[in-house]
Amino acid sequence: MSTWNRWIATTWFTAAVLALPVVVCTDARAQSPAVDPAAVQRLKQMFEFMDGLQQFSVQTRNVVEDLHVSGHRIDRDMSATVTVKRPNKLRAVRGGGLGEQQFFYDGKTLMLYNPREKVYATEAAPPTVEKMIDFARETVGVVLPAADLLYRNAFPLMMQDVKLAAVVGRSMIGGVKCDHLLFSRPGADFQVWVAEGKQPFPCKYVVTETGTPAPLSIATVFSDWNTRPAVNDAQFTFVPPKGTEKIRFLLVEPPRPTGR
Amino acid sequence: MRANTRIAATLVLVGAVSAAAWLPEAHALRGRGAAFAVGAAAGSASSSAAEQQAAAAQQQAATAQQQAAAAQQQAAIEKEKAVAAQQQAAVEREKAIAAQQQAAQAQQAAAAGKPLPAGTVVAQLPPGCVPTPVGGKNYQYCGGNFYEPVYEGSALKYVTTTPK
Repeated sequence: MSTWNRWIATTWFTAAVLALPVVVCTDARAQSPAVDPAAVQRLKQMFEFMDGLQQFSVQTRNVVEDLHVSGHRIDRDMSATVTVKRPNKLRAVRGGGLGEQQFFYDGKTLMLYNPREKVYATEAAPPTVEKMIDFARETVGVVLPAADLLYRNAFPLMMQDVKLAAVVGRSMIGGVKCDHLLFSRPGADFQVWVAEGKQPFPCKYVVTETGTPAPLSIATVFSDWNTRPAVNDAQFTFVPPKGTEKIRFLLVEPPRPTGR
Repeated sequence: MRANTRIAATLVLVGAVSAAAWLPEAHALRGRGAAFAVGAAAGSASSSAAEQQAAAAQQQAATAQQQAAAAQQQAAIEKEKAVAAQQQAAVEREKAIAAQQQAAQAQQAAAAGKPLPAGTVVAQLPPGCVPTPVGGKNYQYCGGNFYEPVYEGSALKYVTTTPK
């Protein structure tokens, strides 16, 4: 090797050695070593278990933190019994701040019914639970309890942009031992408590806004999971009782022809 | 009716939907398909000082530099994304508060018995409304306004209307 070549080689080698710490530092940041594979794996197990269910029913209790017009933080409480029969049936019976309310989806139509006020409304809906959830939220403005966890194949969406994943520890939720997981992504943190044992149900789910002056959360506690609820298709269709008045939804946006 | 209605309805809706608008943000439904590209893994840059490895080291260095640049770029993009998300969330929050104020004003005007532009949404009927069927449909009438029950999201509300 000529002196010239040797000089080049040495120079490059020096450059490589000098560059190394830079690469490691910068890369460590971009790669988020804070993502604990154990937390990711536990979440994945939960979703795989959930994805495998053909039908289920569950009790949900929601606390939606909000800002009062005065700027102070307030909680809005809601509870619901949700029954899902995949791929295209869902029913939610809610209590709480809104009074009793029943939501039906039979694969074609979504229906909302207030028994006390004797009014209901219907809207043509997309053909699967997942698409219907999107449609209900974005077009009709109806948010279903803990919809994130009712989706099939939600795991990749949940993990998107996640910069931090950690196993916080274990805790008892409604008498069930659960693993407490924390995830963070730009704009939001979320915590998931996953039941220990052969049936890794979600025990609790909390999403916290992090991009706002007030870090507001939506929390949902799950109980009474049932993977074999007695269901028949008629339960997912609303037949208005006599004397019930049909009203309309004020849509958030006009329905798109394709649903989504 | 249109312009006022739309403004009122939109403002009020934003309030009702504030929870909805950030749930999807939370689980990135809107970003469906936009996979998060993790920065390139750090290469193992172990080299000996031996001359015969100089060429390899040279290549290694070039790769390392590229990786560093890519990682820096990625970090910058992520930072921008985070800032944008924060701004968006702040805007949404402000909108929601404005909508709440708007709704409160509408409610006050309704309670004061003032005729309201058609399409004004109120959470509760003003006192003294009487059921008034027009053309086979049930309205509530008070303060010079006809009210029709509607769902705004899952909340049962009332909107001023002109019976046909």
